[in-house]
Amino acid sequence: MISPATIVETRDLVETVVYATVAGIGVTAIFSVAIWGAARFTDLTQEDRRPAAAVAAGVAGVALLAVLAAIVFGVIVMTRK
Amino acid sequence: MTSDVILVLVIGTALAFDFTNGFHDTANVVATSISTGAARPQVAIAVASLLNFVGAFISISVAATVANDVVDSAVITPTIVFAGLIGAIAWNLVTWYFGLPSSSSHALIGGVVGSAVAAAGFHVILAEGLLGKVLIPAVVAPLLAFLVAGASIGLSYRIIGKQRPGIVSRGYKYGQVVSGGLLALAHGTNDAQKTMGVITLALIANGSLGAGADPPVWVIASSALAIALGTYSGGWRIIKTTGTRIIKMDAAQGFSSQGAGAAVILVSTHFGFPLSTTHVINGGVMGAGAAKRLSAVRWGVAGNIIVAWVLTLPAAAAIGALAYGFTSLFGDGAVGPVVVTVLSLGAIIAAFARRAVKGAPVPVQSEGGVRA
Repeated sequence: MISPATIVETRDLVETVVYATVAGIGVTAIFSVAIWGAARFTDLTQEDRRPAAAVAAGVAGVALLAVLAAIVFGVIVMTRK
Repeated sequence: MTSDVILVLVIGTALAFDFTNGFHDTANVVATSISTGAARPQVAIAVASLLNFVGAFISISVAATVANDVVDSAVITPTIVFAGLIGAIAWNLVTWYFGLPSSSSHALIGGVVGSAVAAAGFHVILAEGLLGKVLIPAVVAPLLAFLVAGASIGLSYRIIGKQRPGIVSRGYKYGQVVSGGLLALAHGTNDAQKTMGVITLALIANGSLGAGADPPVWVIASSALAIALGTYSGGWRIIKTTGTRIIKMDAAQGFSSQGAGAAVILVSTHFGFPLSTTHVINGGVMGAGAAKRLSAVRWGVAGNIIVAWVLTLPAAAAIGALAYGFTSLFGDGAVGPVVVTVLSLGAIIAAFARRAVKGAPVPVQSEGGVRA
C-alpha cells in the first residue's frame, strides 16, 4: 500500500516551490531596482544633482551585481548535483 | 544482431524526437524576446540553440527519472521504447501542424507509457514516479510560473513607479537578453534530458547498461546536439501563438515571464522533475499578462492551449499503444520497427510537402481561439 505522502515527493516539491518563488520574484525585483537606479541617475544628472545621481548609480550597480551573483550561484548549484 | 538493429532505430528515433522537441519548442524559448523587440529573431534563435546545447550538460537528474522512475525498466524492450517515441513524434507533429504549443515532454512520457501498457499491461507503470515526479509537478509547475510571473511584474511596476518609460523599457530589454538566455539554458537542461533518459532506458532494456545506470557521455552529447539543431531550425508557426496571441507584452512583462519560467524549470530540473517547459513558459506569459490586466490575456487562445495540454498525455499514449500494436504484427524482430520507421518518414515528408505547397502556415484568430 502506497501512502499519498510517499507518492507525492512532498519535500522536493515544497522546496521547488519555495526556491523558484524566491529566485523568480527576487531576481526580477532586484533587477527592477537596478533599472530604477539607472533611470534616477539619468534624471538627477540632467538636474545637475551629482551626489544624488552617484547614489542612484551605486544602487543600480549593486543591484546589477546582486542579480549576476544570484544567476551564477543558481548555475553552480545546478551543476553540482 | 536483431536487438542491435532495433536499438539503432530507437536511438535514431529518440534523437529525431529530440530534434522535433527543439523545433517545436523554439517558439516557447524565444517568443517573448522577439515580441517585445528585445532581440532580432535570427539572433534570439541562434543564442537559444547554443544555450540549449550547453544546458543539456549541466544536470542528469531528469534523465535518471525518465530512465528509472516512470515505467519498470525490467520489462521494457527496445521495441516498446521505439513505439513510445513514434507516439510522441506523431503527436508533436500534429500539434505543430495546427500551431498549438502542447508539451513535447508529456508526449514523450505519454508515448512510452502507452506502448509499455500495450505490451505488458498496467502493472508496468511505476505509480510513485509517474504521479509524484511527472503528473503532480505537471500541474504545480505552470501554476507556480503563473503566480511567480504575476507577483514579479506587480512588484516591478511598484519599484519602477513613474520613471521615464524609454529608459525603463530599454533596461528590461537588456535584461531580457539574460532572462531569455536563462530560459534557453533551462529548456536545454530539462528537455534534452528526457531524450537522454529514453535512450538510457533503451540501453538498459537491451542489456547494454545495468539497471539504474546514468546516461553515457555520448548520449548526453548527441541529445544536446539534436535539441540544439532542432531549436535552430525553429518553429516559426508557434511563435505567433506564444509571443503575441496570448497577450501583448511590454519588456517588463517579458522579463518577468522569462525569469519566472527559468526559475521554475531550473529548480525543478535540480530535483529531477521532467516538466513540460511549454506549460511553464506559457504559464509565466499568462501570469505576467493577467497581473497587469485580466482582460489583456486572450483567454480563448489560452483555453485552446490548455485543451492541447490536457489531450497530450492520453493522445500520445494512445498513438504509442497503436504503434506498438502495429509493430508487433510483424513479430519480435526488427521488421516491425523498420516498417514503422519507413511509414513514419513517408508520412512526415508528405505532411511537410503539403505545407510547402500551401505556403507558410499561420494560425488564424477566431472567437474561440486559434484555428489552422
